[in-house]
Amino acid sequence: MDETRRHVVLDLGGASTAMLALLGRSGCCVEILDLPNFGSIDQLNMAEPGPALAETAAALLPNRLTGDAIDLVLCWDLPNYLTLNALSALMTSVGRRARPGAVAHALIYYSERDMPEHPAHFVPAADGELVDRSAPGAVIAAPRYSTEELGNGMGRFVLDRARLLGNGMQEFLFQLGS
Amino acid sequence: MFERNKKDDEGNESQSAGRPDSDKNFGSFRSKASGRSGDSAVIGRSIQIDGDLRGDEDLRIEGDVSGNVELKNNALTIGKEGKVKADVYAKSIAVDGETMGDLYATERVTVHVNARVQGNIISPKVSIEEGARFKGSIEMDPAAVEKVLGTTTTSGADKRNAGNKSSATDTSKVAPKRPVKDSSANLNPPSGTS
Repeated sequence: MDETRRHVVLDLGGASTAMLALLGRSGCCVEILDLPNFGSIDQLNMAEPGPALAETAAALLPNRLTGDAIDLVLCWDLPNYLTLNALSALMTSVGRRARPGAVAHALIYYSERDMPEHPAHFVPAADGELVDRSAPGAVIAAPRYSTEELGNGMGRFVLDRARLLGNGMQEFLFQLGS
Repeated sequence: MFERNKKDDEGNESQSAGRPDSDKNFGSFRSKASGRSGDSAVIGRSIQIDGDLRGDEDLRIEGDVSGNVELKNNALTIGKEGKVKADVYAKSIAVDGETMGDLYATERVTVHVNARVQGNIISPKVSIEEGARFKGSIEMDPAAVEKVLGTTTTSGADKRNAGNKSSATDTSKVAPKRPVKDSSANLNPPSGTS
């Protein structure tokens, strides 16, 4: 990221003190959707594909405070919990408010057939690593989106790079085309 | 601003201690609805306010409030039972209950663990406890905060009172501007990853 200016970060997950401190120190404006805790995942997945879904997705985004475009989107593992239609509608809406070249980061459960029933809650630790603070619980089938499927579900964000992680997840970086 | 009661929530004597017994009883009765808690005025949980709220003392809300809330030089606490559907302007804001609307504070906003907040937060210092539910934007950069507060203080209730004492002077008390430093998010992959 360009360190000479402030950035707007959109976090699709929940707020955390540590993440806020990290981004606040960097002078970032943080937009938090908290999809898991406000019923937004079900809203998106259950909306009728088409205009109704697009409207639902657009309505989820917070009101703009400064008019600055989004630079970074933290999707965490949330794409696993959205249908590809829902993800596509959400990321299309996000893309309209993002700056060309904006980056979206996502984690996909890849090697295992199952994933936790509820999304993870990643929080930055003191050493800079990310720790999942969510409580362990039941598991559900993972959609195991392929790179191509995920690419189709990210709106105007196009795949920049991907890598397999040691925890069975695949990490993706997407970049918004101009 | 609000009626004073005999005892605060902790049972400590407050400013009505010297009143006649009948007055004390009345004050005690009123404490269930509105009164004082410590040094704060209190809107009790049976109270519903639909309209703008302004004042020059600290306030704790345990009831339902809809409309603008302005305590520009004071602290506002939205208690566990409090539900506020309003844009709030205060020196500091602490939320234990529910809010829907933007929170503007010249000093600090604290969202406690059981709180549910929907709306933007504009303040130089913001803390959100783990477990709190928050949805909205957070602006903490002092220069941006000053910019936003500078425009919003004249677009809220003050706008309707154009010609009265301007609140623009309040925004000059916001923390001084500082250059933006180190804007790198520096995110690393989750621990245990390759």
